[in-house]
Amino acid sequence: MTDHPLAPRVAAYLATKIPGASDLTVEAMERISGGASRETYRFRARWREAGESRERRMILRRDPPASLIETERRVEFAAYRAFHGSAVPVPEMLWLEEDPAHLDHPFFIAEELAGLQASPQMLLAGGYDAALPKVAERKWTILGEIAKADPKALGLTEVIPAPPLDGCWRRELDYWEAVFDRDQAEPLPIARAAIRWLRAHPPPPAQKLSVVHGDYRTGNFLYDEAGEIHGVLDWEMAHLGDPLEDLAWGFNPIWEFGRGLAGGLLPRERAIAIWEQASGLKADPQALHWWILFNCVKGQAIWVGSAGAFIKGGNKAPIMIYPAWWLLNAQDRAILKVMGKL
Amino acid sequence: MTPEVPAVLAELAAVVARNAAPGVPEPERASELGLTAMLLGLAAEVWDGAAARLVEENRALRALLSDTGADEDLRLSKLKAGNDRLRGKLIEAQIAAEQAGDQARQEAIWAELRASTERRKISVSLV
Repeated sequence: MTDHPLAPRVAAYLATKIPGASDLTVEAMERISGGASRETYRFRARWREAGESRERRMILRRDPPASLIETERRVEFAAYRAFHGSAVPVPEMLWLEEDPAHLDHPFFIAEELAGLQASPQMLLAGGYDAALPKVAERKWTILGEIAKADPKALGLTEVIPAPPLDGCWRRELDYWEAVFDRDQAEPLPIARAAIRWLRAHPPPPAQKLSVVHGDYRTGNFLYDEAGEIHGVLDWEMAHLGDPLEDLAWGFNPIWEFGRGLAGGLLPRERAIAIWEQASGLKADPQALHWWILFNCVKGQAIWVGSAGAFIKGGNKAPIMIYPAWWLLNAQDRAILKVMGKL
Repeated sequence: MTPEVPAVLAELAAVVARNAAPGVPEPERASELGLTAMLLGLAAEVWDGAAARLVEENRALRALLSDTGADEDLRLSKLKAGNDRLRGKLIEAQIAAEQAGDQARQEAIWAELRASTERRKISVSLV
């Protein structure tokens, strides 16, 4: 295999971070497909320390030139760190580096949870059918744990702005509507109609302030053959807000993967029951409906942003095109469905 | 589809050329070419019907909006520019109908929006 051009630069960086390390090398470095919001690489670091050989598998997450999702990597790093060792399984974060001198763009390095899968297509293709009930139970239990957690006790209110309980919905809707205003390449009558409806029918205040993962769906966690979940990934949209926002993101019809089941896994009512049990919170049906429609709009803003990054020339990678071509119309159809128009 | 197919095809040509050169790490080559293949498949699927879809939709929108005019230049870029103009007007018409409480008008607009997603539906659509 050809050595990856980034490998010696990563090795040079790690040599400054591991005290007492010598002969440090980075091997088997490869980019993991996907990763439209960050470039993700896996590699193995080897070094000598105190007369012994050491080895550790790691993940590098580097900012791309222009991202599908513009986010604050410091927040993402802090969210991972806050939950490490808790009932919410996450990989251990090792180093955050915001100086672009090392690898041209900011990045962070984490441990690799090896030998696991994240692909929803693989999970739902039939080979894992016996494990799906366990995956589903764990998926919504862990989301309930995220919702239940106290952001202040986790230290996250020091890094992430905390909106008032009655302002969570407005802050999120304002943010994602601004993404349309900035990135849309064509008129979007369905999304705009949904935004008008959301503003005219605001949800009740959040029942508590929670950590919101922001992209908690099938495909963003690592699972094994027995259905256990070992790591929740992709916290780049993490923020503080209404816990129903996170529950509702997974109920965007896009994430049914054409199976008519929440997350492609089980009936929505069952998912809600698991989440309520784990979180100790209630999912008011009307409020949840608002957040599901909001998440359809948010999804559309992300796909529009992806197309916008390509059109404006900030990022011409094929991964920026595929979400737009595959999902823009499907997301419009999802909005119609949630609004009872399809 | 957005981004426009010609711009995407030009970029995919560059992706293929880059991956035809030696020295590209194998997993990255596999990932880029696999994604390129999927995009080419989608482009192939929509290409034949693209002009017909735009002409059909522009006619429907003109009728709904009482907009005079016709698609005389059948280049896709011109049809799409006309479509963008009409869909912009549709948003204004929908807002006006909502403000006036005109249920019949609103339902007519929703019917056209439903139809627009049927016209754009691809074979691998998730919804």
